Amino acid sequence: MSQIVFDQFSFKYDAQQSPTLKNINLVIEPGEKILIAGPSGSGKSTLGHCINGLIPFSYKGAIEGKLKIGDLDAKHSDLHEVNKYVGTVLQDQDGQFVGLSVGEDVAFYYENHSVNQIDMIPRVETALRDVGMLDYINETPHNLSGGQKQSVSLAGILASSTDILLFDEPLANLDPMSSKKALDLIDQIHKNSNKTVIIIEHRIEDVLAHNIDRMIVMSGGEVIEDAHPDKLLHQDVLRRVGLREPLYIEALKNIGVDLKKVTKASSIESMSVFKSDIQTWFKAAQKSTLNKSEVALELNGVHFKYFKDGPEILKDVSFKIEKNAITAIMGNNGAGKSTLLKIISGLEKPQKGSVKLINESIDSWSIMKRSQKIGYVMQNPNHMITKIQIYDEVAFGLRNKGVDENTIKERVLHTLKVCGLYKFRNWPVSALSYGQKKRVTIASILVLEPEIIILDEPTAGQDFKNYTEFMTFLQNVKNEGISIVVITHDMQLALEYADHAVVLSKGQVIEENRVSNILTNHKVMETANLRGTSLSTLAEVCNIEQEAVFLESYIQNFKGVQA
Amino acid sequence: MLIGWTAFVFMFMDIRIFTVMALLGFSIIKLSKIPFKNIKPLTYFVIVFSIVNSAMLILITPEFGSEVSGQYTVVLSFLGRDITLETMFYALTLSLKYISILPITLLFVFTTHPSRFASSLNRIGVSYRVAYAVNIAFRYIPDVKDEMFTIMNAQEARGVAFRKGDASFTKRLGNFVTILVPLLISSLNRIEVVSNAMQLRGFGLNKSRTWYNQRHMTKNDFIMIATVLLFVGLGIYMKSQTNYFWLY
Repeated sequence: MSQIVFDQFSFKYDAQQSPTLKNINLVIEPGEKILIAGPSGSGKSTLGHCINGLIPFSYKGAIEGKLKIGDLDAKHSDLHEVNKYVGTVLQDQDGQFVGLSVGEDVAFYYENHSVNQIDMIPRVETALRDVGMLDYINETPHNLSGGQKQSVSLAGILASSTDILLFDEPLANLDPMSSKKALDLIDQIHKNSNKTVIIIEHRIEDVLAHNIDRMIVMSGGEVIEDAHPDKLLHQDVLRRVGLREPLYIEALKNIGVDLKKVTKASSIESMSVFKSDIQTWFKAAQKSTLNKSEVALELNGVHFKYFKDGPEILKDVSFKIEKNAITAIMGNNGAGKSTLLKIISGLEKPQKGSVKLINESIDSWSIMKRSQKIGYVMQNPNHMITKIQIYDEVAFGLRNKGVDENTIKERVLHTLKVCGLYKFRNWPVSALSYGQKKRVTIASILVLEPEIIILDEPTAGQDFKNYTEFMTFLQNVKNEGISIVVITHDMQLALEYADHAVVLSKGQVIEENRVSNILTNHKVMETANLRGTSLSTLAEVCNIEQEAVFLESYIQNFKGVQA
Repeated sequence: MLIGWTAFVFMFMDIRIFTVMALLGFSIIKLSKIPFKNIKPLTYFVIVFSIVNSAMLILITPEFGSEVSGQYTVVLSFLGRDITLETMFYALTLSLKYISILPITLLFVFTTHPSRFASSLNRIGVSYRVAYAVNIAFRYIPDVKDEMFTIMNAQEARGVAFRKGDASFTKRLGNFVTILVPLLISSLNRIEVVSNAMQLRGFGLNKSRTWYNQRHMTKNDFIMIATVLLFVGLGIYMKSQTNYFWLY
């Protein structure tokens, strides 16, 4: 018997004019492993809410058509009934970790179902053993990484022994290595338990590398494709709806090979049949350009620790950031990236070493003085925006400095034009999308006319369309004469947009080079615990020895083609 | 124990009892080996609070002590009003009263596991929804604190002053208010996520729930409860035998 059946199903939120989900027809069989993908606003999260019962119990709205989950008619049951079938892991690892310790969090389901304490404890231990977190049973959430918290949440769901596991954007807040671990864990549990697994995600490449049986593509509230990934990758549907195809697929399509020759398109190894095509293309396309420019920011032998007898967070960090370029600072969580940011912006003082801005030492500069030259844009725009109106938000920095209102008006309006926000100048911030808010935060920095802008994970959580728009915008900013530093663990972003990169690992700079050289340097990638792109793997599969030059040539020939 | 102790202390206005209680309390703290660093802020707060409180008491009602005790010994005249020795003694007694509650409160805060406290509240009849709120508060206060520092850093990095010496006090105060907007918005979002997460895992399903961290009453617990009750009883008896305010 089918486990989940959507039959001519539509849903409209009460607060909205038009339906978010339209005419969904979807059948999910027991034991399947399914990926639901779609750009932001395609309705994929809403579909997830329908499956786990948050719709209609927490989010009110009008339902048309039928939805069956197990033998329940979802419209006429209640949230707790639905959750006997469906366990959900949410995107926000902190929000769903409600317990004060690991064990307590896993026990949460049992507590609510009045399981008595004597039965509860061994069951909690079993669930934690299944996700490999038993050793952490007494830890507090504060001492766990994002990936570990997610594993605990998964244990909490396993504890409820539902037949269906639903993952709502499980990779959104994880670095590349933790993502891989999370997906491996999901895979392992799927194999051992034969539960139905539904993953909602827009990072398609990562998920497809982990045995997906079926992929459902959503756009504009409808299911527009429902097929095996191998079949889907042959088509152009992902590009069309604004999703990113796996990079190697994108590359092969751009180079112009006939992908249909390969039946198992989701496996990169099978691409070796195109070996000769790729090599021919590479011979013709080889390009390599290198031009040196001036230095915008320079760090010299920086050492830092938070406490006198604490561990050194930064050890002898030295590197240069080129003027008028985009520099990527890469490294996994805990590599010292955010501490480095604090040193540059002056929030923390290094114990040793110095920072130079265009040949001038800024060690004695106050945070305030630095803030006029070095702008810092945080990952989450909601952490930065303090004003209600867009105009006021952008004007805030200038007003704070005491600039007169006429000059402010002139500069704010100019900046809004540069950032493509001019037509929203009289809007409240709350009416903007996430990507637009992000632009507002950049506008509020740009208006101060800094020399350098530092961005922390600028595209995290954004779909491909927003990502491309945003990065193109950043390049325009760079062309205005501003040096840009991007802190990221998205290798694809670094490869496509950064001119130069610095790799940080355990508080030390282990490499400073062009991104293509870094991505193909296995030793550096391994030490820094980073994951390369599938483009490098493609080069390997096709026996290309000059991998770095291959990457470089590809990006120069095809950057922006897919956008 | 906290309740018993507090009830006992509140019944009296007698410096002899407070001295004994304060000494006893601080020796328990010493036994419990809580590092002084942790309790420092709260201890200082209570001491400063007591001093301010005494000063206000003496200034505003300089004759209150005499009214309570029935004796009138003028120490000095101030702005045409007499400050009596009895009032000053009353203020001293009151301060010691607060200080004698302090150690037991500290002990409670630093040794009680929030989840166990929540489960105990539930056991004595408080609804588990209310009891669990205690848990949730302890869970998310550090997160909100971290978030506040993140927001502050972001604002600082764009030239907003929070530190002493960067701008005037009022300006800095105004700047602290600006960070409330993002903090409030993100907290509201968090509430939505947390309540969804809790509901999805069956919170609110049954009329009652069990507790992973619940401790069962042991013999020691019963002995403790009996001792506390005995002391409260003793207090009530002693109170009936003496005046409310003991003057040397």
